[in-house]
Amino acid sequence: MQERLDALLTSARAELAAAADDAALEQWRVTHLGRRSVLTGLLRSVGSLPREERREAGQAANAARRELEEALEARQTELRRGADGAQVDVTMPGYPVRLGSLHPLTRTLREIRRVLAPLGFRAVSGPEVEWDRYNFELLNIPADHPARDMWDTFHIDDKARPGELLLRTHTSPVQARVMEQIRPPVRVIVPGKVYRYEDRDASHEAEFMQVEGLAIDKHITMADLRGTLTYFVRAMFGPDRELRIRASYFPFTEPSAEAEMSCHACNGDGCPVCGGTGWIEILGSGMVHPKVLADVGYDPDVYQGFAFGMGVERIAMLKYGVTDIRSFYRNDLRFLRQLR
Amino acid sequence: MRVPFEWLCELTGIEASVDDVATRLTNAGFEVGAIHRAGEHWDRIVVGEVVRIDPHPNADRLNLPTVNTGSEEVQVVCGAWNFEAGDRIAFAPAGARLWDPYADEPVLKELKPTRIRGVVSRGMLCSTKELGISDDHEGILVLDPDAPLGRPLAEALGGEVLEFELKANRPDALSVLGIAREAAALYGTPVRSPIPDDRAGEHGPSQPVQLQIDDPSLCARYSAALVHDVKVGESPAWIRDRLEQAGVRPISTIVDATNYVMLELGQPLHAFDWDTVRGGFIGVRTPRPGERLVTLDGQDRELTPETLCIVDAEGPVALAGVMGGLDTEVTDTTATVLLESATFDPVSIRRTAHRLNLRSEASRRFEKGLPPELTVLALRRCVQLIEEIGAGRGEFLTADAYPEPSDPTPVSLEFDRIERLMGVAYDRGEVRQALSSLEFGLDEDGDELRVTPPFWRRDMTAPADVVEEVARLVGYERIPDTLPTGQVMDLAPGEIDERDDEARDIMAGLGFAECVTYALTSEARMARLVPPDLLDAPPDSPLGDADAWAEVRETAMNDAGRSLTDRLLPLDREPLRLRNPLSMDENVLRLTGLGTMLETLRANRRHADRDLLLFDYQPSFLARDGDLPEEPNFLTAVIGERVSADRWNETVTVELPFVRGVVDELLSRSGVPAEATSHDDLQHPTFASGASAAVAYRGRLLAAYGEVDAEVAEAFDLDERSWALLVDMPAVREASAGPPRFSAWSEYPSALRDLAIVVDGDVTQADVSDAIVRAGRPLLQSARLFDEYRGEQIPPGKRSLAYALSYAAPDRTLTDKQADRAHNRVVRALQHRLGAELRG
Repeated sequence: MQERLDALLTSARAELAAAADDAALEQWRVTHLGRRSVLTGLLRSVGSLPREERREAGQAANAARRELEEALEARQTELRRGADGAQVDVTMPGYPVRLGSLHPLTRTLREIRRVLAPLGFRAVSGPEVEWDRYNFELLNIPADHPARDMWDTFHIDDKARPGELLLRTHTSPVQARVMEQIRPPVRVIVPGKVYRYEDRDASHEAEFMQVEGLAIDKHITMADLRGTLTYFVRAMFGPDRELRIRASYFPFTEPSAEAEMSCHACNGDGCPVCGGTGWIEILGSGMVHPKVLADVGYDPDVYQGFAFGMGVERIAMLKYGVTDIRSFYRNDLRFLRQLR
Repeated sequence: MRVPFEWLCELTGIEASVDDVATRLTNAGFEVGAIHRAGEHWDRIVVGEVVRIDPHPNADRLNLPTVNTGSEEVQVVCGAWNFEAGDRIAFAPAGARLWDPYADEPVLKELKPTRIRGVVSRGMLCSTKELGISDDHEGILVLDPDAPLGRPLAEALGGEVLEFELKANRPDALSVLGIAREAAALYGTPVRSPIPDDRAGEHGPSQPVQLQIDDPSLCARYSAALVHDVKVGESPAWIRDRLEQAGVRPISTIVDATNYVMLELGQPLHAFDWDTVRGGFIGVRTPRPGERLVTLDGQDRELTPETLCIVDAEGPVALAGVMGGLDTEVTDTTATVLLESATFDPVSIRRTAHRLNLRSEASRRFEKGLPPELTVLALRRCVQLIEEIGAGRGEFLTADAYPEPSDPTPVSLEFDRIERLMGVAYDRGEVRQALSSLEFGLDEDGDELRVTPPFWRRDMTAPADVVEEVARLVGYERIPDTLPTGQVMDLAPGEIDERDDEARDIMAGLGFAECVTYALTSEARMARLVPPDLLDAPPDSPLGDADAWAEVRETAMNDAGRSLTDRLLPLDREPLRLRNPLSMDENVLRLTGLGTMLETLRANRRHADRDLLLFDYQPSFLARDGDLPEEPNFLTAVIGERVSADRWNETVTVELPFVRGVVDELLSRSGVPAEATSHDDLQHPTFASGASAAVAYRGRLLAAYGEVDAEVAEAFDLDERSWALLVDMPAVREASAGPPRFSAWSEYPSALRDLAIVVDGDVTQADVSDAIVRAGRPLLQSARLFDEYRGEQIPPGKRSLAYALSYAAPDRTLTDKQADRAHNRVVRALQHRLGAELRG
């Protein structure tokens, strides 16, 4: 028995030394340790030996098996190290993974939607080419009103209806569109592209994204507006954010409020991000003007509510530390990959 | 609007710091955009006196003033000529810091001694722009003769100026008094009105002035005052300083006085040389046909019928509220002045000022709507001021036309309305206090409050307006945080489709970077999508720019055989044009995003040689008659020539099947399985023929993809083969079968058989795989193409296709024989139907 085992070990070791790749090692394992191998046969035959030899033969065969298993493992490790004995360099870069990316504005818009969805806000969209009526008149901005100067407007050259078609200057026309079609309660947000006749620079774009919010019901108050905005800035910029609002003017809200949050970069101490003031202007808002409600057929003595609007690029610039609004529209892959 | 802080303090008696006042006004809705601190950087600038002016030996346009700085005499080189020996000026010695008048952004620069055309200049005489007082860089600032020689300039001229960013609803706030009223209410101090009481005993006009308003809807009130013994000259320094600080250029006594009153009270005034006004008559009306007017700027203007004019007995003498006439201008020789103080229709003034591009401080105020009560008060103040500075003596009111007097309408509201809207309680005492501090009249009847606004607050029309006044005076800090409660709303119209998000996710998962591009584009950019050799005048040729699109449309119409006209690339359509584009590079709304995306591909190609996979998912704009345009969300993807393969530096060259893989994945994940679509050769000039395909579902085009035509690629300056994919996502939605459906598979092992056949070149892969699927039923589970071969080993004109087929039965393990039988049926079908030969 022991002789046969010795012979077996000698030839198995020689074959193992010659095995140079994973396939050869597997072949070797099947031959010498597999179910049909000589060693397995010997182990099986131990039972048929005379009782006094069984114990010794069994131990010898098992020892041989362990020895072969260890030799296999050692050989595997050896092969992995390569011919010159060097280890695999684990600092080598991974093979290229071709995964694309979503635009930072898409990601920011989704985050805004996700944050506001639990408060019951549904996301709706509306046309980018709009009638003057929706963009201005139904928002309490009649023709020739000086408030029109707040929005520099691109007009569509339309011979059939001169002056009526324009590129919407804000997402607010969708407020009127929604309210015209359904009765309160209303709770929507409106993300989308808007247009201003304005020269571009690091902080101005002629095309940019806005998100509008609108909540109308019988008992929605300015305190609800403030609470919603506080919830929003904390969800977007961290639980330590403080909100403050101050009086402002928009033709379609009364009272109106400008909202600022404590700077997320310096926590309100003052830094370049907030211009040293500790506060960052983040959106405009207010209680929907009774005239706007009446014009879409809501009774302003029964229904009331709030609206707010913000620039998506501004939120994204704050979130990602982007300093030039035009970067969002240059679509440089280096920018898109950084912010993916 | 710029308000000198000391002026504001004079009208309120406020003693708080400028920062505190700015913060409180900002919080109350009067946003202070900036606090200019004149003198902040004037640490070394002093009041100097010009001792003499010598000519520059080497330059006619320069001179050499010698300045007494109080401690020494210094010679400098100067390019301005608006001063004389003896004038007091602001002198900056070398080392002082000045605003650079030539920089785009405000920037302070340190002054250094320099040699200018051979003469050393050891300082500088400053303009107001260099001092940061105003934007005026014409000439240097000549100070009051009493300015203390040698003293720091800050003592003579310093002070803070608040710059307000005012809102459109408060015309009353376009005045120092208006801001003062707000500040006084916030600080609980009384307003010190600068308006003098009416003069007792003033009787009868010194001369008859006849006034006539033709249409009271265009001019609600016209008041006039005569000033005699006029002395036109330089105003005293305190008036000039305040005007300068407020951003208005001092001109002469009478004009300065009218501007001063406009700034102080918000009422624009105009001064006529009364002796040039014909017939002792002033009328307000629209012009008669053919009437013209030479305005102050020297322009001879033809007056359109809607231009509101001031006329004398013979014709127009001014454009109402916009600009005076040259003939009636106040000059050095004027003896008698008629001061005009009127209330013009805001819309009329706005239209005229916009049309003539003559917007001024005056027209801005008229546009916002002024109260008629203000006209007579402004005249009183102006006459008093003129008398105070010794520029004449006048009457507080000579003539007044006010055909339809109107009083402010009271607004009523219930006290609890405030809490209902704000969500927080205000006690009645607070409400009364807030409103009366703003000079509102109050009248209570139980729970109801009747509020009569002062005449200058015509913006008060609804209860919500009153609520806002209370809330902002008490302060928005009062408002707590609550969250809205109540019912959930119904499904909203126009709800955003989650599938738009999914489409973006799928494309990102397929390796594409999402772009957000401009909707505005140029016709030339879209015209570049047609190979230039098809056009007589391509967009980049000298003739091409103006009518590039007309040219494309004509070609599209004439060349209908090449399907130029699908809505995915609608080259036959007219794009929506802007009436007022920012530039010709973005004068239309895009019909397709492909042009912009090819430019984006090109821009990124400059810094990357592989993995240029980009997509854009934004609307195109297709005009519709009598309605808003259709704004379909088209997906536009572009791909560069090489993409990474599975090792570090390996790339594969993009070929048509690469793009097809993307299309199939996008469509099938959007509910349109690849096997339901048909792919045919795309005959479109933007794409290379033979390397592009159109994808249809039941005859409707869903997508187009392929290699960009080489000429088109060149027009976009692309230096390698480029690929594009356009998908009509709204059409895909309509074709979608909805969510995927589960179907059971066989639980028994599959039998695998490979198949390689040789077919004629005109037999398509689709023909072969259709035949396989049909003949393989019911046991065939799948047929996967794994090779295509053309070449030496098979006859010319033919090609070989190889498939891996898998057979299984739903209820048993197939025997080899059964699988062979099924497979042979497939082979025979291919041989008979398509003339295929089995390949060895």
